Amino acid sequence: MATTFWPSIAAALRNTPRTSRAPMVWDPASLLMSRFGFGIESKTRADLVRYGLDGWWQNQVAFSRGPGAGYAGHAGVAAQGPLLSKSPAEVRAWLKANGNEYGWEAMDQLTRVTLGLQAWSRGQVYETSVDFFANHLNVANHSDGVWSSRQTMDRDVIRRHALGSYASMLLASARNPAMLKYLSLASSTKNAVNENYGRELLELHTVGIGAGYTEEDVKNSARILTGRSVDSDYNYLYKPERHWVGPIKVMGFSHPNDSAAGGEAAGEAFLRYLAYHPATAQRLAHKMCVHYVSDNPSPTLVAELARIYLRTGTQIAPMLAAILRSTEFWGSRGAKVRRPAENLIATVRALGVGPGDLSKSLPSLHWMSSSVGQVPLDWAAPNGYPDVASAWRSSGSLLNLWSYHRGLAQNWYDGFADLDPASLYGSVKPRTSGEAITQLCGRLTGSRFPAAHVQALQTFLDEPASTPIADSRLRWHLTHLIPLILDAPQHALR
Amino acid sequence: MTEATPPGAQQATPPGVQQAGAQQADAQQLLVRKAEQVSADLAAQDAGWQRGFTRRTFLAGAGMVGVAALGSQLVTTKAAYAASGLSNGNTLVTIFLRGAADGLRILVPASSELGVDYLRTVRGNLVPAAASMSPLAGTPGWALNAALNPLLPFWNSGELAFVPAVSTTGITRSHFQAQQCLERGSDTATTGWLDRALQQLGPGTTFRAVTQGSALPSALTGNQRKLVMSSLKNFSFPGWSGVAPQSEAAIRTLYRGLPGPLGEDVPTTLAALGTAATARAKAGAQNGAVYPSGNFSKALADLATLLRAEVGMQVATVDVGGWDTHTDEVNQLDRHLTSAANSLAAFLTDLGPARRSRVTVVVMTEFGRRVQMNANGGTDHGHGSVMWLLGGGLTGAAVHGKWTPLTAAALDSGDVPALNDAFDVLGEVAQKRLGVGSVTGLFPGHQFAPLNLAKTG
Repeated sequence: MATTFWPSIAAALRNTPRTSRAPMVWDPASLLMSRFGFGIESKTRADLVRYGLDGWWQNQVAFSRGPGAGYAGHAGVAAQGPLLSKSPAEVRAWLKANGNEYGWEAMDQLTRVTLGLQAWSRGQVYETSVDFFANHLNVANHSDGVWSSRQTMDRDVIRRHALGSYASMLLASARNPAMLKYLSLASSTKNAVNENYGRELLELHTVGIGAGYTEEDVKNSARILTGRSVDSDYNYLYKPERHWVGPIKVMGFSHPNDSAAGGEAAGEAFLRYLAYHPATAQRLAHKMCVHYVSDNPSPTLVAELARIYLRTGTQIAPMLAAILRSTEFWGSRGAKVRRPAENLIATVRALGVGPGDLSKSLPSLHWMSSSVGQVPLDWAAPNGYPDVASAWRSSGSLLNLWSYHRGLAQNWYDGFADLDPASLYGSVKPRTSGEAITQLCGRLTGSRFPAAHVQALQTFLDEPASTPIADSRLRWHLTHLIPLILDAPQHALR
Repeated sequence: MTEATPPGAQQATPPGVQQAGAQQADAQQLLVRKAEQVSADLAAQDAGWQRGFTRRTFLAGAGMVGVAALGSQLVTTKAAYAASGLSNGNTLVTIFLRGAADGLRILVPASSELGVDYLRTVRGNLVPAAASMSPLAGTPGWALNAALNPLLPFWNSGELAFVPAVSTTGITRSHFQAQQCLERGSDTATTGWLDRALQQLGPGTTFRAVTQGSALPSALTGNQRKLVMSSLKNFSFPGWSGVAPQSEAAIRTLYRGLPGPLGEDVPTTLAALGTAATARAKAGAQNGAVYPSGNFSKALADLATLLRAEVGMQVATVDVGGWDTHTDEVNQLDRHLTSAANSLAAFLTDLGPARRSRVTVVVMTEFGRRVQMNANGGTDHGHGSVMWLLGGGLTGAAVHGKWTPLTAAALDSGDVPALNDAFDVLGEVAQKRLGVGSVTGLFPGHQFAPLNLAKTG
């Protein structure tokens, strides 16, 4: 479909034909909350009405750049990650004092806090960008050598720049101890150049395969970055004696690189060249459209985002805003399948289940995301979790998700605030069995179900739609009907 | 051949291919055509994966109405093909000992010619005493840690073999990096080698790739469908059983006609519940097998049940943790070995000679351990490890590959050197047992040199 761009988000919405992919129905608020947030939720719906689309967007950006920056989108969740504010040396000292110098507590706290913020942070746009860039510059949490430093990648690189400039994020990542350990740059020297980081920098972080670089370019990419390492406390340290000196040429970049002392600056120039490269703009724009719009976005949309990226000096927020100002976005409801952990978090949000005791609910979310194969930040390879539906086909995950729909609706798990299922009807109490089904579907999925689906739910209740609520089997079956609605494609898609 | 309808589902049993002759021939034709379609579709999906997005074309449902229920399963039903001769019906079970198991205390080079004298000088009581080793008949001095004695009958029947000094290029002494390299089949691949093997084998059943555990191992990451199952017991519709059949029926309707992966996966999953229930009903060890307690043992018992039920399982993976023996290795390692040996022996016994002739088990670990014992009675991270092969399709009881007698000079930075390549072992088993045509794509950049440890067919 041809996409057009409008000066404001509201104008784009007004000018979009009211289409969606069956069985989803047109509902801009649900679309917005499921793409620029981790799922639909009634408070956000109210905010959208109150502030309007453009106002809501500005509030979201301002909040996450200001009082909600870093981990502050939810104070209670942030309090579950005391090690996340610490340096690698401090983490190690804390771990040692608590019984295991090489323990996983800091990495676990990062997992738990990430899940908690996805579920309950007020800065939902920010959390989606954090998730996107954490995968784009993936450093596998729970991998070797990052036990004391992984939080610095999240805190000082991803969260610091998630609504800022990509060039700054990339430059910070090339000085981050966790990244340097994960991709072996910390141990790369002039006499033993390790190509791991140099290759992934080109292939994954910037221009991408197909940009026309050669194996010799990969070698030079690795050479110019030698010397970037860590000290014994796992702080970033440039070690000039390790730097490979000599002329460097990578694609259209060349640098004399004629001194060990100047090697760090040469590397910065190289990284900046890559960050501003049109192939990087194109690649990042495409990935972003796949994440936020559809598995197969239009070239027009991608090109517009790439143009904005280059024009704004690699700014991320204007790219996100451009998606919202496109008609393609607003016409894309149902085009994305929720990945397993996205389905899990969206379930928490749709039900409105509160965090209750975070010291228990966050570990619950951790093992649940593990059982569906998508613990945030834990993808082992440097390319980040796949973002297309075909990569996530698993009967085991489906069954586990259906189980969590039931468990969260029926209060199976420790830590979550108990759910009052009748509250999901909303303020207007249904008079009949049929009205109850319609109201629950709307509330939980933002969709009016087609007749055949409504009939399937009515058949499940085994009573006519006209059955008065007082006589309805919903008295016993409400908490069985709710998860069934969450099993539906209207919740599995976004 | 077809998957059974889930118990209590409010639907008629789908027409089965076994019903009548003419119908069977038609169905067979459909199966073949559908298989071709699905192969093309999977290739398109894979191309999409490579580019990071998908241009997947959806299978048309039209024209399949008469066999709609059947067709929806055929998308992935290799079990049907197995019966029609399109698959060789073999299964590869890979078992990963996470943490780096000490090969030198598993398969002991117990003669002077193999280097035991040097071994005794540097690792003390980590070399088992004579009474705690079982010589392997027909080898020049190899012996098995006596903790593995339950497996000796399979050595005697030609169903047990080992490859010592095994590693692969690029493996470091980092658990994470080495596991990833071994599981992805190269240092740089982003999907797993088993996933790429499945891709070559073409469409299969929901059960064609089963992982016993809570998460997908890296060997199976990628585009191919697979089943992660914490246990067969729990592979059922969740929640109160009183509403399960009604819930399943409703879900079937909710996904009817939905294009895309979910429209295929939901009905297949529901059908698989029936298959699992049928298999589960016949669970229980056979042939006098006695499984010990423990998760590993339970996982193998589940796999045996599924194998007996002929659900089209081509690959299965099981992880076993706890092999990182930096301290008190004699006790720690032997306890694990005893449990592993009893579990594996029960599994092979349970299957019986005929069924296990189509099942090959490969046991691997990310790297071996330091030859020299450390100050805590354990060993630190090393290099060359030992792979075990069990079950059907082997060329016989043997210790395969190269071995250099252990001396200080023969070691690689104090470790068993890498003389044999793990990818040669895995590649040979994939090719000869599973029928994967080319192993080049499985292990990119690796020069394949089989060790003649498996038989074709």
